[in-house]
Amino acid sequence: MGVISTIDYVIIAIYLAGMVGVGLWFAKKHTDFDDFFLAGRSLTTPLLITTLISTYYGIDVLFGDSQLGFTDGVVAWFGYARPTYAFFLIAAFLLAQRLREEDFKSLPDILDKYYGKNTRYVGAVTSFIYSLPALSLYGFGMLGDVILGWEPIVGMLVLGGIALVYTLTGGFWAVVLTDSIQFVLMCVVLAMAFPFAMNLIGGFDIMIEKLEPSYFDSMGDLSIWLIIIYASTGLAILVEPTFYQRVFAAKSYKNIRNALIIGIFIWGSYDWIITILAMAAKTGTLIGKTIIDPGTGELIQKTIIDPGVAPDAALLTVMVAALPAGALGLFMAGVLSTEMSTLDSYCLVAGGNVAYDIYKPAIKPDATDQELIKTTRYGILLSWVLGFAMAVSFEQMLGLWVFMASILISSVLVPILLGLYVPKFRKPLAGFLSAGLGLFSTVILNVYIMMNGTFDLEEETYIVQWLGIDFLQEFVMYITLPISLIGFFIGLALDKGGRS
Amino acid sequence: MSSWETFTWITVLILSFGSIIVFVLFVKDIRQILKKFQKEK
Repeated sequence: MGVISTIDYVIIAIYLAGMVGVGLWFAKKHTDFDDFFLAGRSLTTPLLITTLISTYYGIDVLFGDSQLGFTDGVVAWFGYARPTYAFFLIAAFLLAQRLREEDFKSLPDILDKYYGKNTRYVGAVTSFIYSLPALSLYGFGMLGDVILGWEPIVGMLVLGGIALVYTLTGGFWAVVLTDSIQFVLMCVVLAMAFPFAMNLIGGFDIMIEKLEPSYFDSMGDLSIWLIIIYASTGLAILVEPTFYQRVFAAKSYKNIRNALIIGIFIWGSYDWIITILAMAAKTGTLIGKTIIDPGTGELIQKTIIDPGVAPDAALLTVMVAALPAGALGLFMAGVLSTEMSTLDSYCLVAGGNVAYDIYKPAIKPDATDQELIKTTRYGILLSWVLGFAMAVSFEQMLGLWVFMASILISSVLVPILLGLYVPKFRKPLAGFLSAGLGLFSTVILNVYIMMNGTFDLEEETYIVQWLGIDFLQEFVMYITLPISLIGFFIGLALDKGGRS
Repeated sequence: MSSWETFTWITVLILSFGSIIVFVLFVKDIRQILKKFQKEK
């Protein structure tokens, strides 16, 4: 690992202090819950672009894309990242306008309006679980370990703790403003990193020469089923609580539509560069260099990147090896930005689920705005603590991400979309059975596979044998989504009354 | 230069200049937001 200079530490310290400063500045400026949770519904296109991009581009992209890029090549972009842009387009042209037609504040608000309180609570629990910041905290542990030499748990506590402080104090305004700073930092730094990485490995042509041809095959060596599963995780955007929060916080529908369309170009570029940098890391494991052994003083041959590097740490490792002092500090601040902007947004949504979606309707319907803000802060803290517990328990991030995405898709995708587009389907029992069965089956199946399956190091996921077929944890959604759909129509058939 | 490398340089340009342009527009908008908070104060 490269040596981190004082200037790098100074840059990181300034960045972290700035984030906390923004949170403290907003601490007492909120006038009501709308202001705290939706920034007063006044976000313009540039603010939406920055907060949408920096929120989505967290741990799953930085390590998920780079992990696939390192092990399989450009399929990480073609198979894993590219399909999500189609879902962003659907969201921009079909979904966002419909969501803006009512005065919703959260995803469970929609379920409540169409199916009643019980479905709202199921949706709130699902959204809360999905929003737990386990992946970001895991990422902070890795960052602390790879870059700063900290124990993972120290990285989680210190770096995750800073994001927690400014989210707790500043609410959505602090999230949006820090997201904007984080957005420009992570984009510029990533763009800057590409020439340094090429310089390290000797140029793009060396990469083409050294890597297997399958690395430049848009389908790679992955099975079509796995590609379909990775691509279908993009469905999550259609029921993404942080996306919904930004739609509700936008000044108008046009603002959110334009932000998504412009954002697709930046998203695509970001994903591609991540993939190429991970492939550069792989190339670095295949190229030798001559160095002086510090112990014996003899010349020895060594690869540029340690061949034993973990695939999900490849991106960080190649950057630490490639970037000079100062640029490395900026890159590390950029990586921290990527994680912080994700963690703060999801913690805030989880806090809103506790206060606005559960506490207010179930416990205190006449809660004041100040009480809601206070309860949201408790919810943020609770989500952080639970996310921390998950981060220290799970081993594989990609598997965990697919697990969390499948929870959300399996339980709320069917009732939300059918409720939005088919008014006569808005029956309480249909929504409740669909959401409840989707959530229940997802949890049961995932727990079963993790307890009874074996962890496959090559596929990097849990696998169980069913009827002679290898059933991967990622395939759970193939079962649970139809269960949710069947539950919806059973509920529709059984529900004689209710709203419509 | 291969088509892969050309494509990568295009994405580098989109990412760097695109993000800076968006940030400049953000700074323009943020003035209005700060004014709002000043007024409320």
